[in-house]
Amino acid sequence: MNYMPGTASLIQDIDKKHLVLLRDGRTLIGFLRSIDQFANLVLHQTVERIHVGKKYGDIPRGIFVVRGENVVLLGEIDLEKESDTLLQQVSIEEILEEQRVELQAKQESEKLKVQALKERGLVVPRADTLDEY
Amino acid sequence: MAEEDEELDLYNEMTFGLDPDSTEEDAAKIPVPPERSPELLEPEEQPQVVEGQPPTEEQGELQGEGGTEPEAEQSQDSAVLDSRIGSNWAEFGQEDMLAMDPMAWGSCPSSIPPHHMLEDKAILQVLERPPTATNMALDFLGSPVQRGYVGSPRHKRPDFRGMSPKSFPQHFLQQQPLIPCSTSSPRPFPPPRRASSFFASSQSAGYMSPGPFSPLSPNIGTPPRSLTMHFGPMSHSLDSSVFFSPSTSGQLNLSVPSHLTQLHPQHQRILTQRQQQGGTLQSVSPKKLWSPKADPCAGLMTCKEKDWVVKVEMIQLQSENLDDDYYYQTYYHRLERKQAEEELLGGRNKQEPPKLVTPFIQKVETYNSVVRIAGSLGQVAVSTCYSPRRAIDAVHHALVEEAAGSHRLRALHRIERLFLQLLEVEEMQRKMSLATEEQEHKTQEVGRIYQALNIRACSSEEEAEDEFLQVLCVRKGKKLTARLLPHLAPEQAEKILLTITHHLPFLMKKDAPDESLPLLYGPLNEVVGRMTFSRLIEVLQEMTRTLPESAELPLTMALKNQFGISLLYSLLSRGEGLLSSETPLEPHMGDFETWTDTVFLVARELSQVPKALLVEPLFLPSNLLSLFCRYLDKQTVHHLEAKMECSPLSAEAPMPC
Repeated sequence: MNYMPGTASLIQDIDKKHLVLLRDGRTLIGFLRSIDQFANLVLHQTVERIHVGKKYGDIPRGIFVVRGENVVLLGEIDLEKESDTLLQQVSIEEILEEQRVELQAKQESEKLKVQALKERGLVVPRADTLDEY
Repeated sequence: MAEEDEELDLYNEMTFGLDPDSTEEDAAKIPVPPERSPELLEPEEQPQVVEGQPPTEEQGELQGEGGTEPEAEQSQDSAVLDSRIGSNWAEFGQEDMLAMDPMAWGSCPSSIPPHHMLEDKAILQVLERPPTATNMALDFLGSPVQRGYVGSPRHKRPDFRGMSPKSFPQHFLQQQPLIPCSTSSPRPFPPPRRASSFFASSQSAGYMSPGPFSPLSPNIGTPPRSLTMHFGPMSHSLDSSVFFSPSTSGQLNLSVPSHLTQLHPQHQRILTQRQQQGGTLQSVSPKKLWSPKADPCAGLMTCKEKDWVVKVEMIQLQSENLDDDYYYQTYYHRLERKQAEEELLGGRNKQEPPKLVTPFIQKVETYNSVVRIAGSLGQVAVSTCYSPRRAIDAVHHALVEEAAGSHRLRALHRIERLFLQLLEVEEMQRKMSLATEEQEHKTQEVGRIYQALNIRACSSEEEAEDEFLQVLCVRKGKKLTARLLPHLAPEQAEKILLTITHHLPFLMKKDAPDESLPLLYGPLNEVVGRMTFSRLIEVLQEMTRTLPESAELPLTMALKNQFGISLLYSLLSRGEGLLSSETPLEPHMGDFETWTDTVFLVARELSQVPKALLVEPLFLPSNLLSLFCRYLDKQTVHHLEAKMECSPLSAEAPMPC
């Protein structure tokens, strides 16, 4: 029951299972227990889900308190539809390994790119030296 | 020890209205984080941690374990899971521990790092209660009024420590979160939250979650009075009656406490409804797997807390500035208009769109969003729950150094400054009622901008230095002038026109890369349209005067510039309009002669300028041909017409002579 028509509030999402995407790229899945005016979240029985390709792995994390500004988006998970997914769940070690491999491949391709650009005289500023906004 | 307990109880009661005995009802399953289990797996010779034992032993042991743990546990499959998490937690824990004075582990109190609050709370829950989860789970369905705030710590019975470490992995494998005890009796500052079966066994469908709590919270409670923990709004610094926060009395007050706070009646009604329905206010959706009844942690956030958050959100929506939520406002205006139309068409069924009415909550004092401390670098952002948004003043306060920099830089700064002023004027205009004081204020402001522009006569040598001309050389400066013109008094506007016309060659030359002079055409055209004949003649004389440094007349140069030719045509058109109209002209001596001379001059130049260089004007007035007809012979007029013919408009213009 939304008694603030025309607004969006997380109040209705309390005690429901949510998927939260953070700014650092992590995906958390947990039950939203509490919020505040900054949209800080308290997630219960949280699981960090790592996706690599068609596989994913869950790392149980317990209770998360997430500072609101770090949330990109969040959405409710339909518990009934949760299980029909084409993705394959694997163990944590496996997914972490996959992630490491993927990261390595990305870094290498990035390195090649930067090298190629440098040869052509184009210098791409690194992300960490840029202002975030 | 007992006295301190009593002190804490008293404090809790005072702050939260807690009944110390209510905490006895809390159930808790005993969770433990995986980190502990491997650690405790090994030192089986130390099955029980007895209260009061030198904590440094365990601390040292933990530190040691934390380090070696990841390697040791890799092989064990079930423990691999823990080790990864455990290592995280261990790191976390280690940092804390290192940060803390080990000597503080004893009975002497030290301040509790806030992030340990939750854990300590949890631990205490554990300590107090053997699991009676089932009973407590259903308690949530009860009326929120009955639910008091839980939290006063019971540290007399550290039952948990009696659990043998052997049982830990078992518990863990059963996938139930467990929490170990801390070494000494912690006395945390209890937050006002739902307690109890938060730590009940997770009955989720296959949801595995070892408890997240760091075991390493050897926090010793301080005498609560010295702590300044604020789990709600800063009610201590503000009048707490002003704001309805969860940290006030444990009773859920349906009647809003203060005369200053009012809830929307709909809101109030919904609140009471919720009370009656008793907490099962879930949306209707088939969630057979996780119904509210089965979820023991449901309702962690009480109604009171939810209302509080909603209230803060509503306060945030309060604003005097109409533009703060432009999209919402426009949306609602449209919706209302649509409904009004429908109502007119479709009978008298008046459905009001649910409108967001923010409760009136008097904001305390004036809120300084930015605090400037003398001598500090930058700004200190102050945000309260009333105005959490405005953390930093976005408006640039620093005064621009006009002395510094080149001419151009200074001109740019001036333009920016004046533009801001102009925007304010327009804003004033928009919001303005017909109140005369406001009109005066507006004219004052406009006058100020005009003065700042510093329009004055200057010779051609000084053109580059003249401030107004510099402003006009910049596109934004032209825009500024263009937007300002409608607000100016006629004499002021005419002065600008005169200046522009006087310096037209200079401006046209400077505008070559930018081609933004046409911006000025519209407003200047308006000004011309209101001019008297004499003034018109004055302006035209600017264009027909000979220039010392060039053989060309300004007039001729204007013919080759889009703005110039448009302005010229506009002036001529105005003259023709005045002459052909019935209104008395009140000309000065020699005006008519000058006018005739001007027309001949224009005609001559127009015929002499090769068509290729002639630029199409922005607007070709229809009475120009009739003007030429008046003074010139048919042949010349035809010739001129051919020259000017670049748009279908001139072709259609009738030939009266």
